[in-house]
Amino acid sequence: MTYSVRSATVRFGHVLALDDVTVEVPAGSVVAVVGGDGAGKSTLLRALVGEVALDSGTVEAPPKQRLGYLPASSGSWAALTVTQNIDFVAGIYGLAGDELTARRRELLDRASLTPAADRLAAQLSGGMRRKLGFVMAIVHRPELLILDEPSTGIDPVSRIDLWRLASEAAASGAAVLMSTTYLDEAERAAHLVVLDDGKILVQGSYDQVRAGFAGVVTQTAEPVRAEWAWRRGRVQREYWPSAGPPPGATTVAPDLEDIVIALSLARRNAVLS
Amino acid sequence: MTGVLLRARQVTRRFGTFTAVDNVSMHVQPGEVVGLLGANGAGKTTLIRMLLGLLPVTSGGVELLGGPPDREHRCRLGYVPQGLGLYGDLTVRENLSFSAGAYGSAEPELPPALAGRADVLVRELPLGAQRQVAFLAALAHSPEVLVLDEPTSGVDALARAALWDTIRGQAEHGAGVLVTTHYMQEAQQCDRLLLMSNGQLVAQGSEADIIGATTAVAVRTGDWAQAFAALNAAGAPVMLAGRAIRVANANPGELQDVLKAAGIQAILQPVPATIEERMLVLAREAGSS
Amino acid sequence: MIVKEFRELVRDRRTLGLLIMMPLLLLVIFGYAANFYVSSLKTAVVGPQATQVAATLPSFFDVTVTQPSGTKADAETLLQDNKVDVAFVTGQTPVLALVNGSNLFAAQSAVAALNKAGDKVKTQVLYNPDLKTSWVMIPAIIGLILTFIGTIITSIGMVREREAGTLEQLAVMPIKPSRVILGKIAPYFLVASVDMVIVTVLGIVLFGVPFNGNPLAFALGAAIFLFVTLGLGVFISTISQTAGQAIQTAFFFLLPQILLSGMIFPLEAMAAGVRWIGYLLPLTYFTMISQGIMLRGAPISSLWLPFVVLTVMALVVFTGATLRFRRDLAPGSPASPTRKRPAAAETVSAA
Repeated sequence: MTYSVRSATVRFGHVLALDDVTVEVPAGSVVAVVGGDGAGKSTLLRALVGEVALDSGTVEAPPKQRLGYLPASSGSWAALTVTQNIDFVAGIYGLAGDELTARRRELLDRASLTPAADRLAAQLSGGMRRKLGFVMAIVHRPELLILDEPSTGIDPVSRIDLWRLASEAAASGAAVLMSTTYLDEAERAAHLVVLDDGKILVQGSYDQVRAGFAGVVTQTAEPVRAEWAWRRGRVQREYWPSAGPPPGATTVAPDLEDIVIALSLARRNAVLS
Repeated sequence: MTGVLLRARQVTRRFGTFTAVDNVSMHVQPGEVVGLLGANGAGKTTLIRMLLGLLPVTSGGVELLGGPPDREHRCRLGYVPQGLGLYGDLTVRENLSFSAGAYGSAEPELPPALAGRADVLVRELPLGAQRQVAFLAALAHSPEVLVLDEPTSGVDALARAALWDTIRGQAEHGAGVLVTTHYMQEAQQCDRLLLMSNGQLVAQGSEADIIGATTAVAVRTGDWAQAFAALNAAGAPVMLAGRAIRVANANPGELQDVLKAAGIQAILQPVPATIEERMLVLAREAGSS
Repeated sequence: MIVKEFRELVRDRRTLGLLIMMPLLLLVIFGYAANFYVSSLKTAVVGPQATQVAATLPSFFDVTVTQPSGTKADAETLLQDNKVDVAFVTGQTPVLALVNGSNLFAAQSAVAALNKAGDKVKTQVLYNPDLKTSWVMIPAIIGLILTFIGTIITSIGMVREREAGTLEQLAVMPIKPSRVILGKIAPYFLVASVDMVIVTVLGIVLFGVPFNGNPLAFALGAAIFLFVTLGLGVFISTISQTAGQAIQTAFFFLLPQILLSGMIFPLEAMAAGVRWIGYLLPLTYFTMISQGIMLRGAPISSLWLPFVVLTVMALVVFTGATLRFRRDLAPGSPASPTRKRPAAAETVSAA
């Protein structure tokens, strides 16, 4: 079962949050949506979840019963304990009794939250709180799992845990869509979508994205064209979309960060010219 | 001014029976960018608050620009907290004029990217722009020391590069910068790194020093999902990198046994470890102690 | 610093409105409403000499009912039903004047006027013989407490979900909006009910306030009134983004009720231009019920007006609030522009 948004356009007042966006999320795989703040990631996810209505386009999503969602904000009730949070949500989805207890124990174990089972959500660290939100989103074995920036601002170790949990969910057959600002996470996904200003810059598997990338990226201490260059570590990198770089320039094999930045620059410069 | 800008000498901070920072010594010199790494609860924020003079030390000493971290010395410091410290219901210009007034400096000029949005309320700006404004406010009085708490969290690649441009620019002008980050790629942008775990400074120096003796093994197999599940179930510290599975501090022989028992064919290859793997190992040690 | 605070204040329309409007409102209210002096009393005259006595009464006594065939019992019923403030029973010497003690200021004015008549009239104050302020105030205060809890606390409770960001999750889960509302309100309903019982009992025990009427009728009236105030709480939560705003708005609804519901200044004494506001307030009607039942032992039939009005109010407020809330939970509501960034919202365990 593949879920999707097709040709989705969303307007908030005069702001075009999504512009003719098509994204598919097949069962059993993780799709990562990358983009900065304001790119449209959250809007895309909320459209799939049913929180935001499309101005045009279609959404294919399961009913609420089969949907799991971790919003960008907290995701758990601060004044309840970890166990109470899970029980509350599980109850709404119809889980009860022994089935609930077994499922809860299994999930707490997988998320390494068992020692904190009776701690108030407000007292958890950011990473643990996010993992709790994840557990709550997946307690009812949803067919479509949507995670909005699950790892932003979270420490690297918890981020690894979250990624592991998301992969496990996909491996068990769920369709997983997650948004992230971390490119290394996007690289690991089966399929990645790069959003910028509501439009799709590029999408595909990491290999496809790399193969489809046109142009050359050079590394230099002094960039030739400032509007096509950016800092990377101690050096500058420059993008040459079509015209060849000056002879003698050091070319680099672009990684995802290079590709995303290069394509963003291309779009900005096209708009300005 | 030459000399150390920030210094902690065997600083310890206790809250009742809980030791948040344990005998930490570090320093920041002019012109360098120092990255402070560590999991949540490692003590990074507590250390920073002591360096800034917001929290007293239990023992040890703290120096800010050669003296105690009082108001006089803090005038020459620029600080951008995680929450940015901006007033959402004021415009960009109003925010900058407020902090300029507070520090007694001139109002900074807006870069072209923000010039058109000077009268926009800060809370209506995208996060990347908000961070830029916070930076401008902290830099307006030409501080000699910059302390930045997760300056690029949640921001896209292009805006991140722009922010690091600013940070590097400050270092090149002679300022010293202390940055905390959870983004390992940014750790590579720093001149020097400090790794904290459980209140202690467990490693410092270059990326290699931080990684230390951690090893890693890459597991290449067609059946990555199964392999991942099997190794995870066996309790190995597994990570994903692309489609490859990596296991930290592992014995290849043991791994191969686990995989064979699960009926999975795989090629195991030792690879250089990453900072994340060091942190993963530290977290497990902390968890089991 | 001063400049910054001023700028922030100007942007905060709700606070600004409160700071400017409130004093104006209070001035107007005090000017026109604050009046302890009742200018005329609704009067009934019963008994064989009804017409003659009615003619001799000073204009202060506004005779609305003349019943030559009526008896003392009829007079008492008229008072119990709060149809008149004073009832004269003729047919014996001296004439008996029964005063409705549950309308405190009217009663005080009546007693003062009747004392001037000397031996010609025997005055008897019913329901509140000592004309104690506490006896009249406490039934009103019960209502005030229900209003307080019902409105303020509910609005915080609802807004808390919005502030914490968990409202999004409720919207996405398969739970009906009406069930969310009912679940949210239930604890406050319970707390408010318990509070009401405690205050009523304390009022009776500490101040000797009587409870002459039917407790079930009282409970029914209180329950309906609670629905009104809780519905208002829900409504306030749907138009507030933060707890601060919710409290300010709740306060804005609360203050007029304290001043204009007849609790402090009697409704009859207010200038007509302001009095109509009092008739829009739920607390006014509950006070009618609580005073009627506790002091006068009035039957429900005589209190039909406040009961009906409150029921209608409850339906209107609740339906309106539910519809607004459902709109918030349903798709199509635009992304809230002031979503907290996950990074900034990360809880601190790094002590």
